Amino acid sequence: MKVFFLLFLTHGTITESFIFGVMTMKSVSLFLVGFMLLSAAATVRASDGAKPNDIFPYPVTKTVLDNGLTVLTIPYDSPGLVAYYTVVRTGSRNEIEPGHTGFAHFFEHIMFRGTTKFPADKYNDVLKQLGADSNAFTTDDWTCYHVVASADALETLADLESDRFMNLKYSEEAFKTEAGAILGEYNKNYSVPFQSMFETLQNTAYTTHTYKHTTMGFLADIKDMPNQYDYSLKFFDRFYRPENCTVVVVGDVKNDDAVRIAKKYYSGWKKGTYQTEVPSEPPQKEEKIVRIPWKNKTLPYLLIGYHVPAFSDTDVERAALDILSQLVFSESSPLFQSLVIEKQKVEFVNGGADDHRDPYLFTVVTRIKDAKNIDSVRDDIYAALEKAKTVPVDAKKLQDIKSHVKYGFAMQLNKPDNVAVTVASYIAVTGNYESMNKVYALYDKVTAEDIMRAAKKYFAKENRTVVILEHEASK
Amino acid sequence: MKFRVNSITPYLLLTLMLTTFANSQQTPRITEVYLPNSPLVSFRVVVRTGSVNDPAGKEGLNALTSAMIGEGGSKSLTYQEIVSKLYPWAASIDARADKEVTTIIGEVHRDHLLAFYKIFWELIASPRFDSEDFARIKDEHLNYLKNTLRGNDDENLGKSGLNLLMYPNHPYWTVVAGTVQGLTAMTLEDVKAFHHAMYSQNRIVFGIAGGYPKEFIDQVKRDLASLPAGTSAEVSLPVASQPSGVEGMIIQKDNRATAISFGYPIDVTRADKDFYALLVANSYLGEHRTFNGVLMNHLRGDRGLNYGDYSYIENFIQDGGSTFPNPNTPRRQQFFSVWIRPVEPKNAHFAIRAAMREVQLLVDKGLTKEQFDLTRNFVVNYSKLWVQTQSRRLGYVMDSEFYGIPYYVDYVAKQLSMLTVGDVNAAIKKHLQAKNYYLSIVAKDAEPLRDSLVANAPSPIQYNNPNVPANILEQDKTIQALPVSINKEKFRIVPSSDLFEK
Repeated sequence: MKVFFLLFLTHGTITESFIFGVMTMKSVSLFLVGFMLLSAAATVRASDGAKPNDIFPYPVTKTVLDNGLTVLTIPYDSPGLVAYYTVVRTGSRNEIEPGHTGFAHFFEHIMFRGTTKFPADKYNDVLKQLGADSNAFTTDDWTCYHVVASADALETLADLESDRFMNLKYSEEAFKTEAGAILGEYNKNYSVPFQSMFETLQNTAYTTHTYKHTTMGFLADIKDMPNQYDYSLKFFDRFYRPENCTVVVVGDVKNDDAVRIAKKYYSGWKKGTYQTEVPSEPPQKEEKIVRIPWKNKTLPYLLIGYHVPAFSDTDVERAALDILSQLVFSESSPLFQSLVIEKQKVEFVNGGADDHRDPYLFTVVTRIKDAKNIDSVRDDIYAALEKAKTVPVDAKKLQDIKSHVKYGFAMQLNKPDNVAVTVASYIAVTGNYESMNKVYALYDKVTAEDIMRAAKKYFAKENRTVVILEHEASK
Repeated sequence: MKFRVNSITPYLLLTLMLTTFANSQQTPRITEVYLPNSPLVSFRVVVRTGSVNDPAGKEGLNALTSAMIGEGGSKSLTYQEIVSKLYPWAASIDARADKEVTTIIGEVHRDHLLAFYKIFWELIASPRFDSEDFARIKDEHLNYLKNTLRGNDDENLGKSGLNLLMYPNHPYWTVVAGTVQGLTAMTLEDVKAFHHAMYSQNRIVFGIAGGYPKEFIDQVKRDLASLPAGTSAEVSLPVASQPSGVEGMIIQKDNRATAISFGYPIDVTRADKDFYALLVANSYLGEHRTFNGVLMNHLRGDRGLNYGDYSYIENFIQDGGSTFPNPNTPRRQQFFSVWIRPVEPKNAHFAIRAAMREVQLLVDKGLTKEQFDLTRNFVVNYSKLWVQTQSRRLGYVMDSEFYGIPYYVDYVAKQLSMLTVGDVNAAIKKHLQAKNYYLSIVAKDAEPLRDSLVANAPSPIQYNNPNVPANILEQDKTIQALPVSINKEKFRIVPSSDLFEK
């Protein structure tokens, strides 16, 4: 399941809205490892109409250029409008060198600093002429550059985007200035407790793998960013390469036009050679517990993480964990109904395994109304996970969960932008958009036994890390 | 290379050609955006009740009442039962309270339209008013004020502080959630009475969009007709007060960086011709979360002061992670504001001056013809992106009805097509000024900042980058000495724990 929390860092705006209400979990998108269509010299093209059993209802046409760049086009009924997404399969996971955490995200910012052909102000003027909505975000596994604009601007968008991916050029001064914006982003996020909680969880649960740091990076590294200009050049050279990227165009687009334009603007982009060797995380041997004293008055938070496998569209146990997250933590679950509605001990509780390329965490998070109930709430959560190991889900409930997951997917495809980000999210983690159809087919096959088996395997005491954030005066 | 000036081909217009687009001004009022090919059905039931309708001493009653719909049970179903029924459909029901209206929002796949609607309508017309639901929701709203807003959300705290400053003795004075004492004093009987008075035919516009069967509307009409007629009397709004010099407060709490918002009420809304001139001017100054505005380019782009700097000519609540505002937050009175996202404390005074200087330059110099042409073109094209989903489109149609204007997105194009740079610059002179502001700051070390502001002390920026271009350093000399006239009698330090109490 995709649990974005603070991962959409550039988009992590906190707004004035005071929103009341019930929102059922609507967004379900998963990542997995799939095949990559390789091309030696020739352009490879494959066109898929949506097959009857596919969850994704739109035809996708895939073209791989000679240099390895993948181009996907997806027609969608949005007259005059296209979403243009560029997926870079590089995120904070790729930050393997000490002292350089946060660089994938930093690079997302630097990419708006211009080229010789389109210096930053000119780049922005062109987008302004188009009336485009343009931005970017970074996660643990990928970086995404996205534009929504007029369909007749497609060639202009390809010109702009290909140019900066191939010819980015920025001064050391501009680089240092942008480092200030990054620190500003860290600072704005800091007032909300989630950033500190996830920083602590990842830093504690991981000893070796790069998921030890968040996408923002360690604060010490952020502060040192102004001194890392040379490293930034190396970073660009390594990762901003065609074989590491996919362009997704959704909306009022004809595939032949998109491919012709892509060939015209991207063909000069040279393949790279760099491979990231991300160190594996050894199994956790004992439970870890960390407390964060919080200076401002707050209700206590509890965040629990269990190591689970990387996303997969073939491993039914991994799919079972996603179904389990609905069974145990959705608003219709007995745990939610007990803790939130009946006992009213917590404001919310949710849990799930965010899709990742490498083994990540199944996280459970709750905000507890009274510090004296932290232990009992924690025990209720553990009891619900224990129950999932031994008590099979009844057939009706399992059917309801599968229905929820399918309708949730259908309902999120309500504009080209959302279709593009959904497809992009699978490409990002697996390299293959077909993963979404495969994993939803896998969900359909999950049985009560699969769920119990997965629960037994992963929800063990020695496999978990617990973070408790409390107002410092309460301790 | 020369670029064509592309225009977003009227995605919306083309779509609407296939669309029945209907609304009725007589009760029951129904607004339709009929999209027969859509698999989804979206609802927006807009109730003409907001925090302005909160009784004195019961601030937060409107928000709490709406949450009893969004997060509570209905006459025949408990909250748990509703959640369980909506779950397999992945359908949603959500209540959003604002100053002048409250919106009950629903969305469902058309496969489950009738079963969903039965629940949705019963929630609106006959909430359960369960005492356990009431206790849970009241607690949630109190915690929002006492913990989240006071302690753990500096950007919203700064904006809420600006609201408190702008609207003393005015029905807009509270945040939508109300006050701690108002919520504490509230009873379930208050909620029942408020619902009975406000959720009436005369106050409700029922909005629906998507692929519903046309005959479905007959059912909606019958249901609406079953509501009490009610009254449509509006709370009268006095003229909002204007600041004399820079009035304000520093909200003191522990934090890492300083959050800043400033502004003042303006006498312009979407219903006024000048609004459209200001729409262009504001986009040039600080279009939300883009690099179009001079605020963003000069504070973040040139100086790396923070993450973002924007300006607004109406209340703006961002819709989720998007760049666009939530629909259905209309107001009869609006305000101009500048939002400076948290800056390092050492540069807070400089950032305030830098932002105020940008407003000053706008007021003094206006836009050039070239800037005007580029910005107008942007706004016309960009406005088409405000309505990418059917639910948002419905919301914008309903907001247009609130303001008594044609469909807003079309109206923007029409009004902007008639504008000249002279109109824009005249509207700037008429409605904006750069001397008198309400200023809201959230800071840890409040006293030194207050002293520096009051003394008009020089506030040189401290760069991390030692090689700043000479032209920027030259501008900095002007900015760091910019006179800002703090009204000492009306500028105070307030602990965050004192806010939103009563």
